[in-house]
Amino acid sequence: MPSIMERFFNPKSVVIVGASGTVGKPGNVVIQNMLDNKYRGEIFLVNPRGGKIGKLPVITSINKLPENIDQAVVTLPADLVPETIRALSKKGVNAIILAASGFAEVDQLGEKRQKELLQVIKETGARVIGPNTTGHISVPSNFTSSFFPLGKVPRGSVSYIAQTGNFCGISIRHLISAENYGIARSCGLGNKADLDECDILEFYGQDDETKSIFMYLESISNPTRFLRVAKRVSRNKPVFLLKGGATEAGAAAALAHTGSLAADGRIVEGAIMQAGVTRLTQYSQLFHVAKALDMMPIPRGNRVSFLSPSGAFTVCMTDVCRSLGLEVPELEDKTCKRLQDFAPPFIRMRNPVDIFGSVGIHGYDVAYKDALEGVLIDRNIDSVVAILMLTTETGIPDLKFIVDLANKYSTKPIYVTFMGEHRHNMASKEFLEASGVPCYLEIERPFEVLSILAKCRQYMRRS
Amino acid sequence: MANRTQKIIQNALSRGQSALSEYESKRVLAAYGIPISKELLVTSASQARAAAKKIGYPIVLKACSPNETHKTEKGLVVVNLSNQKELNLAWLSLGKKAGKSYKGAWLVQEMVKGSREIMIGMHRDPGFGPAVMFGLGGIFTEILQDVVFRVAPLRKRDASDMLRGIRAKKILNEIRGLPAANREILTHTLMAVGQIALDHPDIAEIDINPMIIRGAKAVAVDGLIMFSES
Repeated sequence: MPSIMERFFNPKSVVIVGASGTVGKPGNVVIQNMLDNKYRGEIFLVNPRGGKIGKLPVITSINKLPENIDQAVVTLPADLVPETIRALSKKGVNAIILAASGFAEVDQLGEKRQKELLQVIKETGARVIGPNTTGHISVPSNFTSSFFPLGKVPRGSVSYIAQTGNFCGISIRHLISAENYGIARSCGLGNKADLDECDILEFYGQDDETKSIFMYLESISNPTRFLRVAKRVSRNKPVFLLKGGATEAGAAAALAHTGSLAADGRIVEGAIMQAGVTRLTQYSQLFHVAKALDMMPIPRGNRVSFLSPSGAFTVCMTDVCRSLGLEVPELEDKTCKRLQDFAPPFIRMRNPVDIFGSVGIHGYDVAYKDALEGVLIDRNIDSVVAILMLTTETGIPDLKFIVDLANKYSTKPIYVTFMGEHRHNMASKEFLEASGVPCYLEIERPFEVLSILAKCRQYMRRS
Repeated sequence: MANRTQKIIQNALSRGQSALSEYESKRVLAAYGIPISKELLVTSASQARAAAKKIGYPIVLKACSPNETHKTEKGLVVVNLSNQKELNLAWLSLGKKAGKSYKGAWLVQEMVKGSREIMIGMHRDPGFGPAVMFGLGGIFTEILQDVVFRVAPLRKRDASDMLRGIRAKKILNEIRGLPAANREILTHTLMAVGQIALDHPDIAEIDINPMIIRGAKAVAVDGLIMFSES
């Protein structure tokens, strides 16, 4: 029999209990999501009304299901959950996603329900993700249990663990439509009545599809185990945590949200650092850093070079780098010489690279290409940011040269950011990200990402 | 080590104390190799005079009782007594302040001088367990909240990271004629505080504040160990 995590993330068969023919209902969206993602395993539907939903027959009772279906997605209301788990267990179904809300996150009655649920879990030996979860996603298996309309989720190397439904819902829609990278797995933990972040982190740790791990947590169920598991996983894979409820006000919101008490944020911060986990401080970093790691390698260190056609940016972004703990080191002599050969003599070429003069002489693509290659080869540099300033008048260069250089020097990350006409920025971003070069619309953003990754590299060495 | 300190703690618990007195707390700290100020416990004026002579003026006179955990706020500390006459006067005035009901003892302590004060502590978190704390000492602990935590057991690297982790980290550098602080003592103290907590589950909080950097070497000047409520 496949392991419990195999049954959750690589199911050969699934049953949806509470399947619905009504468009927009959770029991219907989940079917649509599976079809949209081209799930190839067997899908069983259960609803006492029977009939058909689309081309799929509906079975009227769990008792009539075949034995040993890998996984069940239960979209029934809270009060029907315990008997459903008992019935599924009799049919050998032990990996269960519980979508229902109305448990410990709401009130005393909910708490009582959750206790009852724990009792049933204990008694049947079932393993549960949820309750109060939007489900999970497993792109390599073309599978999702999410009841939030997702469409086809693109495949990538990043995996999420989230104490919110967002990462099997709206945030996935955001990353598909705005950030152009893909994911491997995502799991909404819900109330963590049974399986928690440690179980999923442990699975991601040994999962070949997962290259980096991002967590959003409002509580840590078993801190000691969490640190032990995180320490082990972070030796081989970058692990990030955004801890919601780090401030006192945020902690109050967390209590209302997931029924969890937030530990002192400063203790969490210190503890996760010891475990080799990098702390994120903003929700958007869950995308920005993830995109960088899905598309590019992690930089070896904190030494940055950047190219800009504006003197103001060379100055301002150097300030930004220093305040973020990034270095903007001197380039090797041979790099300076190479840059100088392309530039007018009145501009002294150094790091950061003021590309204005070279662009004037050689045009956008030739000047950028040569300078970019120069700093990519430079041994003093760990990562490169190209600031593009595009307008209709300057013309839009063929940016394929950036993609080519990224492929040629694949051990050093290149990020792109912009200042100029929005539509050209957007068009360039679409083109570059489709070819695996991460772009950031705000000029400070790539530097922030690099500073987080430089820290991550440092912590990984320590754990 | 754990045995010796366990005895101090067991005795205190059996007497119903919710904390160790400063004197007892420091015996525990010292047993783990944490440098503490020279001090003697006394119960009479003549003992105090003898103790001061032995330690050498200037000295500090403090109330010392497990029930007196806010001695500074209550004015039960007099610092920098430079001779026997000053000690005699202080003895009378503190005795009056403490009142007839005061059953505790008194601590005669060397006056540790240094312009840099830090704090090292431990808070037993219900989830993470003993969390060791490092920050600026004295009143700055509360004002600036410039503190970092690591969970015990601490590796040496964790302890060194803590010293570099506060905003005011430069306070440990060579600065304005002061020598750089001896980091060995500080990392040892951080690791030892974590170890004390691991060895003694009854302890809920440890508070070494201030630890004064005298020359290059930090010395625990005040120390408090509190038990969990149970």
